[in-house]
Order: sequence, then C-alpha cells, then structure tokens
Amino acid sequence: MATAKKGPTKKTGSAKKGGSEATPDSQPKPSASVPEDAAGKVEIAGFSDKIRLGSEGGALFAKAAGLAVIALGASVALGASQGDGFKRWSHGYLVGYAVALAITAGSLFWVILQNLVNARWSVAVRRMGELFAANMPLLGVLSLPLVLPVMTGSPLIYEWADKAKVASDHLLHHKSGYLNANFFLVRMLFYFGFWTVLARFYLGSSRRQDETGGPEIVPSMNRISGPAMIGFALTLTFCAVDLIMSVDARWFSTMFGVYFFASCVLSVHATLILSLLWVQKKGRLAKSITAEHYHDLGKMLFAFVIFWAYVAFSQFMLIWYSNIPEETAWFKVRFAGGWGNVAWTLVFGHFVVPFFGLLSRHIKRSRPALAFWCFYMLAMVYIDMYWLVLPSIEVEPNVQAMDILAALGLLSALVAGAAREAGKKNLIPTKDPRLSQSLAFENI
Amino acid sequence: MSDAHEPKTETGPAPLHGILAEYATPTEILAASRKIRDAGFSRWDTYTPFPVHGIDKAMGIRMTILPWIVLGAGLCGLATAILLQWWTNAYDYRWLVSGKPFWSIPANVPIMFELTVLFAGLTTLVAMLVLNNLPFPSHPLDHIRRFARSTDDRFFLFVEAADPKFDEDSTKTLLEGTHPHAIENVLEDRKTSDALPVGIIYGLVIMTVASAVPFALAAKARYTLSRSPRIHIIQDMDAQPKYKAQRENPVFSDGRSTRVPDAETVAVGELHEDDHFYRGKDNGAWARTFPPAFRVDEVAMDRGQQRFGIYCTPCHGFGGEGNGMVAKRAEELAQGTWTPPSNLTDARIRNMPVGELFNTITNGIRNMPAYGPQIPTSDRWAIILYLRALERARAATLADLEPAERTGL
Repeated sequence: MATAKKGPTKKTGSAKKGGSEATPDSQPKPSASVPEDAAGKVEIAGFSDKIRLGSEGGALFAKAAGLAVIALGASVALGASQGDGFKRWSHGYLVGYAVALAITAGSLFWVILQNLVNARWSVAVRRMGELFAANMPLLGVLSLPLVLPVMTGSPLIYEWADKAKVASDHLLHHKSGYLNANFFLVRMLFYFGFWTVLARFYLGSSRRQDETGGPEIVPSMNRISGPAMIGFALTLTFCAVDLIMSVDARWFSTMFGVYFFASCVLSVHATLILSLLWVQKKGRLAKSITAEHYHDLGKMLFAFVIFWAYVAFSQFMLIWYSNIPEETAWFKVRFAGGWGNVAWTLVFGHFVVPFFGLLSRHIKRSRPALAFWCFYMLAMVYIDMYWLVLPSIEVEPNVQAMDILAALGLLSALVAGAAREAGKKNLIPTKDPRLSQSLAFENI
Repeated sequence: MSDAHEPKTETGPAPLHGILAEYATPTEILAASRKIRDAGFSRWDTYTPFPVHGIDKAMGIRMTILPWIVLGAGLCGLATAILLQWWTNAYDYRWLVSGKPFWSIPANVPIMFELTVLFAGLTTLVAMLVLNNLPFPSHPLDHIRRFARSTDDRFFLFVEAADPKFDEDSTKTLLEGTHPHAIENVLEDRKTSDALPVGIIYGLVIMTVASAVPFALAAKARYTLSRSPRIHIIQDMDAQPKYKAQRENPVFSDGRSTRVPDAETVAVGELHEDDHFYRGKDNGAWARTFPPAFRVDEVAMDRGQQRFGIYCTPCHGFGGEGNGMVAKRAEELAQGTWTPPSNLTDARIRNMPVGELFNTITNGIRNMPAYGPQIPTSDRWAIILYLRALERARAATLADLEPAERTGL
C-alpha cells in the first residue's frame, strides 16, 4: 500500500495566488476608517496598522536632503580641486547618476509591469515603487551637469559634443546626425517628460483611489500600461545609449539598452526591499508586509541577477565571437590591467556569488540576510556602471572620494524625494480592490 | 503496491484500508489537518481540488529535499558540459576554429548553461515523481464515489489503517470531532488485479521491438552491399543531364567534355594584335613609353591610384615601399619561405621599362601571382602611370621645390 504520505496527489489545481478561493474567511473587505494620528493607524483586512510615515517622513526627508546637499557639495568641491575643468568629476557623477536613474527608471518599469499583468501579490508594496518612480522630475534636474556641457559644446564627457572634434573625425561626423547637442537635448526632454507624465499618472491615480475608492481606477491604470511599456522600452534603450554608451562614441552594441535595463530591474527590487525594511523598522506597515512579500521581491532580485548575467554574457559573446576590432576595442580596454580585475569582480561578484547567495528560500525570507544582499547588489550595480564609464578616461581603476560622494548624494536625493512624496499620505493603496489578496497570499 | 497483503482471490469482507473524511472548505480541512497532526499520525494525507495555502504547515510536512537534488543535478550538468567540451575541443580532437584557443570558456558557456538547465529540469521532474511514489496506477480511494469530488469542490482527509496510532473506533471519533460533512470507511481493493493491464504489456513489447528496427537497418546497411541508388526524396537540381568539365564524354572521339577551339580561330574581341598595348613590347624589346592606345591624363591617374590602392597596397604598401600589411604579417610569422615584395620606389624599378612592369603585373613574378586575369589591360597601364608618379615623388630633390617652399623648410 501507499507508503508515502503523498499518495496519488490531487493538489493539481492551477496555482492561485491570493488565497481568495482557498480561504474566503481570511479576506474581509478592506475598510479604512478615519486615521487616528499622523501615522494613520487604520483597520485593514481585519488588523490595524500604521500606514503613514507621519513625523518619520519629515525626519527622513531632512536627514536625506541634508546628506544629499553636503555629499554633492563636497563632491563638487573635490572635483574643482582637480583643476581639470570638472572632467574627472563629471565621469564619477555620471556613474552615480546611472545608478540613481537605474533605481528610478526601474521603479517606473516595475509599476507599469504590475499594472500590465494586473498583479495582485504586489498591491501592498506597489506604493513604494510609485513613490520612487515619482522622482523622475528630480532626475531630470540632476541630469543638468551632464546635459549643460553638451549644450555649451564642451567635450567634458561626450567628445561628440565638441564641434571641432566632430568636423575632423570622420566617424563622429558620420554619427553627428544623431549625436549632436540639440537633438540630445530634445531627446532628454522627451525621456524625462514622458517618464514624469507616466510616474505622476500612476501615483496620482493610485492616490485618487485612496480617497474615492473607485474600483474603475484599476482598469484605467491597467489599460494605459501596455502602450506605456512599449514607450518605456524604447525611451530607456535610447536613454542608455545617449547617456552611457555614447561616452565612447566609437563603440556600439544593440544590446546595451537591455544591459542597462537589467541593472534597472535589479536595483528597483533591492530598493523596494530596503525601503520596506526601513518603513517596518519604524513601525509602519508592520503587519501588512510579511515574509511572503519579501520572499517574492527576493525571487525577482534573484531572477534579475541571472538576467543580468545572461544579457551581459550575450553582449560579450557576440562581440568576442565575431572578433571585429571596432567592437572588441571597447572590451579590450575594459579587460586590460586593473579593469580586468574589475571585470572578473563583476563575473563573480555580480553573478556567481549572489546566485548561490540568493538561491535558498530561507535567505529570501530572512530580513537581515535579504537586506545584506540588497546593499550588496546595489554596490555591484555601482561597480558595473563604474566599469562601463571610467575606462574611457582612465587606464587603471582609480576610485576617488568625489565619485563615492556623488553617488551617495544622488541616492540620498532619491530617498529625500521619496520621503517628501510619501509625506503624510498612505504607504499602501488602502482601497485597491485587490489589497486583501495581496495581504493574504502565501508562497507554497 | 499491495505485495504485503493477501491475494485478491480471498473471499469474505475486505479488511479496512482507512477512514476518509470530507470537508467543504479549505478552512475546515486546515483545522482538521492540525488536529490529526497533533494527534501524532504519520500515515495520512489530504486531497484538495487546488493547492491550499498553509496545508504544509497544518499537516506538519517538512521541507522537501527536492531543491538539494536539483542543485546537485544542475552542478552535475555544469561539470558535464565543461568536461564534454574540454575533452572534444581541447583534448581528444583539437580543431582550430577561427583562431580562437582550443579550449575557450566563452564559447563553452552556452552549453554549460543549457546542460545545467537540462539536468536540473529533468531531475526536478523525475525526483518529484520518485519522492511522491508516482506513478500510482491504482488506489483503494479510486473506488469511493464521493472521492471524485476531490478534483472539483470537496476537500478530503484520509487516515490509513496501517498507521501505528490507528484504531478504527478512536480514529473515527477523532475525525468526527473535526466536524466533517461525511465520514466513510475505505476497504482494501479486492477488484483491481495486481497484474499489469494486457494493453500496457503489448504496448511495451511493440515499442521495444519497434525501437530495435532503426538499429537493425543501420547494421544491415553496414554489412551488406547494395547497388541500387540511394533514396533521393527531394531532387532539387542534383541530377542534371549535362557533362561537366574534366568528365569523360563518349560523344567525342577524344573523350573530352571540354572542347578545344579549332586551330587558327579567334573569338570576337580577343585578337589582341597591338603588341605594345597588350604585351608591353615595342619591336621585340620592352616598351619605354605608354602605348598610343592608352590615354595619359588626370582621369587615368586617378583610376591608377584607386586600382593601386585595391590590388597593390596589401603587399607593397600605400607608398609602394614593400611594407603592406601582408608583408608585415609574413615577416612577423617568420616562416622562412617568404620572398618580401619589392620596394617599387627604388632605382631598379624606377629605371625599369614600363613594358617590363606591365609584363610583371600581367604574368606575376616570384611569389607575386599574375594579375592579368583580374585587372583589365587599360587599368594595368593606369596603375603603372600612378606608380611612375609615386616613384617621381619619392625621388624628389630640393631642386623640385619652389624657392618660397625651400625657405620654409
């Protein structure tokens, strides 16, 4: 007779997240009562939770904004002391900016994605993504140190901005139909305009639902997400080409947009996990966000560790295999000397180590372990961006305090922006009809 | 499955196999599971129409070891891929592909990735079946009518009589305490034969025999001789009724397919009477002037520069000094059989008659091949015209400069 506990298993129904079918009694209707204090302690789904940052938001904004100003100021001062007209500083700033953009654009992608697939599991954590995506106008302003030199025709970062250089260089001249200052400005305005409209739309719609509770807002957000996703894919690809790939205007890779996209999605999951951990540490959403949410976000983090390796290797292998000098030159520089060590650090540190580190479900359900891997992956994204940008001006890696300070300042600015946006409003979409399913779901 | 039990032919009432309880909601079965778990039962299971969240914990099921098996299989696939490619590419049959190292990891990564996924994926399926004791062709529960609803809208809990804690009365009381919608004794299955169904046996035999057919055919082809043409399903234009060059042809007495033109015949436009233009000879000696049929002008000079760049520079270099890329590479390889290309600007060639240069280009010299078949006649003269200009430029002296330019030096 059957010796195993699981005989002819009949648990073959389709996997259903949300448990609405499985546990009808565990999903009372979400009902947000009048908040008692600034932290917005409300009754949701049968338990009460603080769902607003309240005074913590203001404190965080003050700290993060202060840190951003000090760090960026110190970075600029160090950059000025180099005496090279900010050339070295601009490259370090671009690295930090690329990480900040990865987090913000990644957040926007993540929000569009959740709406595109009408995700239920993520409703409880979606507001976090919406808040970080709403930093888009700030990112537009922070891009000025990169855009202004181009507009003044200075080859600080992008040599194609220099008209004299372009006139004497056949290849740059050939590309000047696309890589020229005015068109660059137009594109940047379009990218950030488009992303800002989308980010404000999603945050605005989601918040309007908090007030009106109108169930028709969900389909209206879902409907827009299909075209938005296509637009996002195109704008992000071109933006990555414009900002990062054109630092070396001679080199080109059609996979570069996807390569940067992998870092975007990786960073946003790390950021979401870290911000949720901080919010819970401050006693907010203490019961709403469970190990199940961290587990799912951790799975995505893990998946995109692999996705990054897949894309990075695909880009490398196609170029390695065809062995054409105009393509291999870019890698040649990045594999030589100390940059080669950085490249190997990426192979192991950005893929092999976190692959095994994040493989276990116990890690993904453990908050301290997950927090470590999130910080670790953000650091790896930074090293990746550093490896993309700096070899174009430095033969050997030479990390300077101003690089780190610029990145610190930019990331603090993102935190400050999100904290200010969070302000005294809900951290959770209280009247989203799918909220109860998101709160109740379990990983098998 | 039931080897430890009595033969099916035994008469009388069948012994008890276990007790089945039916519930209407996941909540009920979760509560019931907790009760049975806490009572210390080990041989029992639940059956639900869809995965019930939290049932693992409620039943006290420990985490499966499947992930570890899959991890091991994945690593095994990775190791297999590395070994396979190292053995075939770098050890057993070294074969140089496009100048890459014999054993180059980047080229191996796709296979490493694929075998890792393949081994892990197949192992997941097989290990899952083994760990769950599947396939499980027959079970006493299959004969319980109400149990069919376990795939639709009912939740069942079944405790086996083989459990050491099982006692028909007390277990039944325990289950009744969980408020099931129904409770039923399940008897041993006396109707289903232990033997495999005849259809499966025949199917296996036929598949075994059929799987030997390709091998038998391959063996036959290997050890027998056949004169019939191979089966050619898609003809395309593989067989054409024509004779190819160098093939025997029974139509002609000399047996050749390729016909030789009759003696004293010249094809249209192939007469080439002009000795000077076509062979660089002037009254039997190498011509020292350009042939009248070739027009020396700016157009010819530009054409010559362009053709020189295409045909001559790989070996002779852009300056004609014999330092083209091919020559440089050959010197680097230092294989000993290389005759370096001439420096076209030295005195020997500068003083060479144009007719002799023309002959060299047309028919080649030393290891320089004949370019006559590749470069049209007037283009060969144009190249010589440009070469003359090149030589003149390389032999320039101070006297060639304007006085103003001389002071600028």
